[in-house]
This record gives sequence, C-alpha cells and structure tokens, in this order.
Amino acid sequence: MAFNLTTLNYYNLEHILSIQQISKNYGRIVAVQDLSIEVGPGHVFGILGPNGSGKTTTLAIICGVISPDAGSYYWYGKAALAVIRKNIGSLIEVPNFYPYLDLLKNLTIIARIKGKPVEDIERVLKLTNLWDRRKSRFDTLSLGMKQRLALSAVLLGDPDVLVLDEPANGLDPEGIAEVREIIKQEAEKQKTIILASHILDEVEKVCTHVAVLKKGRSIAQGRVHELLAADDPVVVECVEAVRLKEELIRVGMSSSIEMDGDELTIILKSGYGARDVNEYAFQKGIILTHLETRKKSLESQFLELVKQAGQ
Amino acid sequence: MKSLILNEFTKIWSYGAFRIIILLHFILFFLVVLVTSQLDITIPGFSTDYLYQFPNIWEFFPWVASWFNLLLAILIIVITGNEYTFRTFRQHVIDGLSRTNLLTGKGFLIAAIAIYSMLMVLLFSLLFGFIFTRDLTVAVFVKKTYMLLVYFVQALAYMSAGFLLAILFRNTALAIVLFILYRLIIEPVVRLFFQPEVRLFFPMKVISNLTPMPEFLSISSGNQTDPGNVDTLNLREMGILVEDLPVYLNLLLALGYTSLFIFLAWLLLKKRNL
Repeated sequence: MAFNLTTLNYYNLEHILSIQQISKNYGRIVAVQDLSIEVGPGHVFGILGPNGSGKTTTLAIICGVISPDAGSYYWYGKAALAVIRKNIGSLIEVPNFYPYLDLLKNLTIIARIKGKPVEDIERVLKLTNLWDRRKSRFDTLSLGMKQRLALSAVLLGDPDVLVLDEPANGLDPEGIAEVREIIKQEAEKQKTIILASHILDEVEKVCTHVAVLKKGRSIAQGRVHELLAADDPVVVECVEAVRLKEELIRVGMSSSIEMDGDELTIILKSGYGARDVNEYAFQKGIILTHLETRKKSLESQFLELVKQAGQ
Repeated sequence: MKSLILNEFTKIWSYGAFRIIILLHFILFFLVVLVTSQLDITIPGFSTDYLYQFPNIWEFFPWVASWFNLLLAILIIVITGNEYTFRTFRQHVIDGLSRTNLLTGKGFLIAAIAIYSMLMVLLFSLLFGFIFTRDLTVAVFVKKTYMLLVYFVQALAYMSAGFLLAILFRNTALAIVLFILYRLIIEPVVRLFFQPEVRLFFPMKVISNLTPMPEFLSISSGNQTDPGNVDTLNLREMGILVEDLPVYLNLLLALGYTSLFIFLAWLLLKKRNL
C-alpha cells in the first residue's frame, strides 16, 4: 500500500500528469473530446475555457471520480491508483464537507484519508485565516469561507501537486488576491499546479502554461508568454494615416492594418518591430504623434482563438 | 484500515440523527420488553413470565428486537445517503480513497451497529432473564443462546439491504420509501404468486424468519412446562404454524443474501461516476 514519492524521483520526471486522447460524453452531449495535455514538474498549468467547455469534467477524470469513455491518463507516468491521489491536493467544483461537523473534524477526516499528520491542520487553517473559526460547524460558514476551507484541505499535508478548479469562486476581491498569493507561493516552492478557470486574468497572472478548451477540445496549448508574444499589434497615430497605411502595405511590412481615424493598429510580419515602423515613417516624411506596442491581453487572445476555432 | 474506522466514528458521533435513532432504538426496545413483562393477561394458563425466563428469553428478545431492525436499516440509509447529499463520497475519492475503501468503511459501520444491537439484546436478556427465571441451571441458561448470533446476522442483513438501496438510488428519501415498500408490500405480494415452499427463499422472508415469533400457541394451550411436547406438526397441517426452513439453512441463506447485497453495492460503486 505504501506509495513513496521520493522513489519516483519527482524532479527528474518528464511529466507529472499526462492525459492522452481522453473523451467523455454525457448522452449526446460531448463534454471532452480527444483531449491530450502534458504537465511537467513545476508548471503552473492553466486550463482556460468558457462555461461548459469541459474543464471540470477533465479535472474530475484525472481525480478519479469520473471514468473517461476513451483515452487514458497517467500521474507520474503510472496508471491512476487511488494512493497516488493522497499526495495531490484537489479542489473540484464546490467544497464538499460534512455540514454538521466543525472545521477541525472535517479536516481531521481528510488528514486521515490522505495519511497526513493532524498537526498540519493548524498551519493550513491559519494560512486561509480560518483558525479562529475552527470550532464552527461547516454550515455556519459563508460561501467565501467555505471556499477558503476547501483551499486549506487542498494544502493539507503540503502536497507536491495541486489541482484547482475555479479556486477564486465566490470570493471577494480581497479573497481573490489572497488565493492568488497562495498559489504564487506554492508555485515558488516548485509545486506543480493545474488550475482551471474561466477568468483570464487569473490564468494570466499565475500560470506558466495554458491550454484553451472549447466544447471539450483543446484549441491552443503552450507557454503563456509564447501564446501572448505572438503578433502583438503596434498602434501609431499620425496626421497622414492614410498615406502611412498605403506605404506600409506597399513595402510589405505589415500583415494587417486597421484604421480608426488617425489611429492605425498594425500587425507586423515577423522580424519587424515598432522601431522599423518609426524609422520607415520618418524616411517617408511622416511624423508619428504616438507609437506603442500593445501587449495583447490573454482576453483578446482567447476570444480570437475561440473565434478561429468556431470557423 | 484504522483511519477508515476512525473516520466512520467521527462522522456518526457528532451526527444528531444518529444519536436520536440509536437512543430511540434502545429506549423503545426497553419500554416494549418492560411493559410486556408487567402485562397481566387473564387468559387461563397464559403468563408472559414464561417468555422472560431462560432459555425462552433468548428467542423472545431477538424477536422483539427484530421489530426495530427497520430503524437500523433506515439509519444506514440516512448515513449512506448523506455521503451522496454532501458529495463526500466524491470528495473522499478525490482525496485518495478507492471505491473499495468507501465500501469497507460502511461495512465496518454496519458491523459495529449490528454488534451494538446484539449487545443490547444480550444486556436486557441477562437483566430480565435473571429476574424472572426461578430454577436456573447452566444448561437452561446456555440453551438457545445461539439466537443472539442469529439476531446479529439478521441485523447485518437488513442493514446491508438498506445500504444497497442507498447506493442504488443515491437518494435518502427514495431508498427509505422503497425499503419499506419492498419489505412490507412488494415482496409479500410477489411471494403470493409462488408455491409455499418457494416463498421461504425470498430475501425478506429468509431474513425475517431468522427470528420467528415464539410459539405463543403452545403456551396458551396450557403446556407451559414442556412446550416441545405440543403437536406442532398438527398445528402446521392446520395452517396455524407456517412451515419453516431449518435454522442453519435459513442462516446460510441470510448470509448469502447479505454477501449478495454487499457485492451488488460494490459493483455499483465501482461502475458509476461519483
């Protein structure tokens, strides 16, 4: 029964989690379709997608509560066993606790299941500011507190892998910031974190890698900054916007230009930068009044991807 | 294994409904046997004292206790149904239990409640038995003590049936209603379509026949000193006493049904999403 993590040589593993071609249908509704994801050690992996895109189903499958119709998944390169999950902290959908038990008893039950020391409960409750409420029944907590308790349960026993499904659900802005801080701290400890969210900002701020899901399919995957780096638009303002647009098209520097009054939004071909635009415009005697490389937010990136996949 | 047992204990200890049902079970049983022992029935040759003497008490008390098995089965249904309502079965699997672990935990709970119930019968049997028995010998005392074990199996069987229904419907109310309907209406009606010999093999019949009603008839016929002498064969031919299976066969069948219930529950747990 003993499952020793150290024997698996955690840091030399290529993949902590490997999902291969997983599919799951609920009747005629496709929840997940041919999904493959690989998460390496130390990654903070965001699974991004609109409501109903299969995020929770995917996480429920890798946590053993739903069996996939097809495909397989491996934790630490091994076929899924219940004992492996004892070293994975997971929060799927809503917090599930016994409403009539106090926080200490609820966490004691989880500590026993996971085989973690009961003494660790104090640390995780203090981490989420719930230590003062330790003797309260679970059903007396507010929604945000329940969510924080669920996070305490996830962190119990200091697991090497965290699986979080919408961890900021139901939290106030302060709570969201706290959760984000906790995730960042865990990431700094070289933990592997798998985070599902429909809040792009959340993913953008904490994740190193991201997979975008739509209707159960993965429509984009990669490092967050690589996905972001692609095709950042250059925005310029000048009096002779029409002439500049024509010049840029003629010289073949841009792949697309949108004009809005005096403002041009230019997507450059690879190899060109804002500097080239400025230099070229100057050569042609056009004076720019404004020049800016606009970092595309994950949001617009995401909307674009979803739009493309829908075509 | 130890943590599974401790967790089941933690879950029930602070649970109000559990405390109330167990308390009701204990008090109701005590009240029934107490009140019955004080009854003064003026039928010639009939005295309830007879039922409270060793060894007859070993048959009488398990029979009385069997009326309250419904409470125990409902208790198991409620506790198992809670795991679905609170989605804690799901959470336990996420946290690292296997589905077999879920079953083992509840198996321990069922066994623990059956042991409690058996000890309760033992306690009151000793209490009333020593008060009412006049000529006590070891042979008289020991005779029919096996009924305690038979009662234990019966409690186990009822609770396993309740557990299976709770797993099947994943809904407390539905499981309780169907348990009661099946026990009191569905199976008795279905049994009527079969030969009398076949009827004895139906699960609820097998389980309830473990603790048959003590033979009151033999008592009221005035032969209290030696009820074994009553012509029970004749009574059976008259249709007053029903033909029963031998106790050991009944016991084996009940254990078989219990294993079947648990096995089916395990299959359901294994196959379905949580």
